[in-house]
Amino acid sequence: MKRSPVIWVLIIGGIAITLALPLILRDKQYWLFVATQAYFWAILASSWALLAGYAGQFSFAHIALMAIAAYFSGIVGRDLGWSPLSGIIIGTLVAGLVGLIIGLLCLRLRKTYLALFTIAFAEIVRLAINAELDFTGGPMGLYLEPLIQTTSYVPYYYLILGLLLGSLAFMYALANSRFGLFFRSIREDEEAAAAMGVNVVRYKIMAFVVTAMIAGLAGAVDHHFIGFIAPSELIIGRMSLVIAMAVIGGIESLIGATLGAIFIHFSLEWLQQIPIPAALMPRIVEFKPALENLGFALTERAIQTNAWRMVGFGILLMVTLRFWQNGLIYPIIQRLTRQEAQAETVAKRQPAPVEETAAQERSEE
Amino acid sequence: MVDITGQYMLNLLLNGLLIGVIYALMALGLTLIFSVLGIVSFAHGEFYMIGGYVVYFVLQRFTNLHPYFAVLIAGLVTFVIGFIAERLLLQPLAKGEIERPAEYAILITFGLAFFLQFLMIAIVGPFPKKAARFFDLPEISTDILVTTATTLRIFEVPLSGNRLIAAVTAAILISATIFFMAKTWLGRGLQAVSQDRQAAAVVGINPLKMNTLAFSLGTMLAGMSGAVLVAVFSWVPWVGVPASGKSFIVIVLGGMGSMPGAVLGGLILGVVESLGAGLIPDPGRALAYKDAIGLLIFALVLLIKPTGLFGRDL
Repeated sequence: MKRSPVIWVLIIGGIAITLALPLILRDKQYWLFVATQAYFWAILASSWALLAGYAGQFSFAHIALMAIAAYFSGIVGRDLGWSPLSGIIIGTLVAGLVGLIIGLLCLRLRKTYLALFTIAFAEIVRLAINAELDFTGGPMGLYLEPLIQTTSYVPYYYLILGLLLGSLAFMYALANSRFGLFFRSIREDEEAAAAMGVNVVRYKIMAFVVTAMIAGLAGAVDHHFIGFIAPSELIIGRMSLVIAMAVIGGIESLIGATLGAIFIHFSLEWLQQIPIPAALMPRIVEFKPALENLGFALTERAIQTNAWRMVGFGILLMVTLRFWQNGLIYPIIQRLTRQEAQAETVAKRQPAPVEETAAQERSEE
Repeated sequence: MVDITGQYMLNLLLNGLLIGVIYALMALGLTLIFSVLGIVSFAHGEFYMIGGYVVYFVLQRFTNLHPYFAVLIAGLVTFVIGFIAERLLLQPLAKGEIERPAEYAILITFGLAFFLQFLMIAIVGPFPKKAARFFDLPEISTDILVTTATTLRIFEVPLSGNRLIAAVTAAILISATIFFMAKTWLGRGLQAVSQDRQAAAVVGINPLKMNTLAFSLGTMLAGMSGAVLVAVFSWVPWVGVPASGKSFIVIVLGGMGSMPGAVLGGLILGVVESLGAGLIPDPGRALAYKDAIGLLIFALVLLIKPTGLFGRDL
């Protein structure tokens, strides 16, 4: 497939910027932290996109699997004195094991039932973590040893960026191999896939295990960086956020979901406190009581949007689903990458009456 | 360690039944939506939450209003929101304009839940609110039944008056719903569409309109179950999350789309939860795992008999 030069400029530019970001943000350590977390969310969103968008398994247990790995790693570190690295490895394996169990249990369950089951599973995990104070620290949370002894964000930035790129490369290879085709065939029609000789059981479980391990690895590493995890991270709202990221980015595209997650994470951080030019401030202060009634807050130089930013993303999520089921970012990437390939195929293709009749049939239904 | 006596068991049983009635009311709405639209609404708990807030704010504003009026207003508000949501988001699904219907249904109702939840956080804030008691119980004193304004003792078993009022109100609403479904033209129309869309269309029922009606009625029932409970529990914008979990459990247990299943499933869940939590020796754990008991039932039903008690074949 020929790629237009634009895309190469974007790819190289993007990589250059991400690599140089610690230099660019030298005086803005906070934003470097935000970027690190954006990559963490990007791993979650893209691995969820592989599971849901490619393999068609709408699991809501992704955050729970991520947290299981982080908790496991933290607990073996605290109680058995294991190093963070071995904790991360064991945590990832445990997440994969739990993913395997979910995959096995859910073999018979279709779409809606799977969603219901995994929501229930995630809730049980959250309740259990809350209740088992001796192991998990309960609602007070659990402290984790730092993976790298440093006070700077820079090493972690490159570590999690590397994790993101590595998992993307792995998932991309997987999605573009035979396995990716099997995943998609299961999504489209399980019976038909089975009839064509796809080992549905094996590939469904494989999708669960692989994505669970990626989520677990990211979760364990990121929480050794943050140093703390609490059951409040397992609330369903965080899962909604992963879904919103994948859907807005493009649920059937790993890179779409990745960019969606980075975009949403940065926007959410930025929208928390929208800076306002000093010239405009007096005008806005006039509306202070009204704004505060609505739940906004005004500071010296900024307006805090609190929950309203999430409301905005809720609307964006619904509008995207309703009108752009392929997401907002993925179609742009497609345009940039496939323009010439598309032109070629269109030129080769003769007017196709078959498609027209198919479309007519569909509209008659 | 609690003493397990007959009276203690009776107490658990009755308390379980009281809460079970509310579960039943809420699940009735969800099962109605499933039976007609063929989808599970992941936003069901959010309508429950909105219903509760409507009652809270109406009663705060109009202190002399009878609480039942507030419950009706809550029903009306959630009906209208459900109506709008169905028209904007779910109608294209029914018309076959959506490429992947099952995925779309899951994600769009999930998105709706996300939106409504944060909208309420933005509007009312995250701090818990609780409505005042709807009304006092009449004072009775006989051998088997003793009541004060807030509590009731039957055969020496104490029950919370608040919960009793909520359960009785919910029972009235359940009866009204069953009557509506069985005896009115619209109710029969809904049943017809749920059994066979095309046959219903042939005899002159518009399935699309019935979809809208079913969704709005379903959300109204969720709203009203929140409305009767706002005087019992303290209310936060995410109060709907566990509540929708309960209604998922109930409809899976009772059989998706089955109304008797929803009522029976609700009562079973209420009792099992209450007994389960009461019989766990460590009270701290019992409270934490109360919700997990229901989820465990849910997982077992899904794995062993996904059609539930009264479900049709999948």
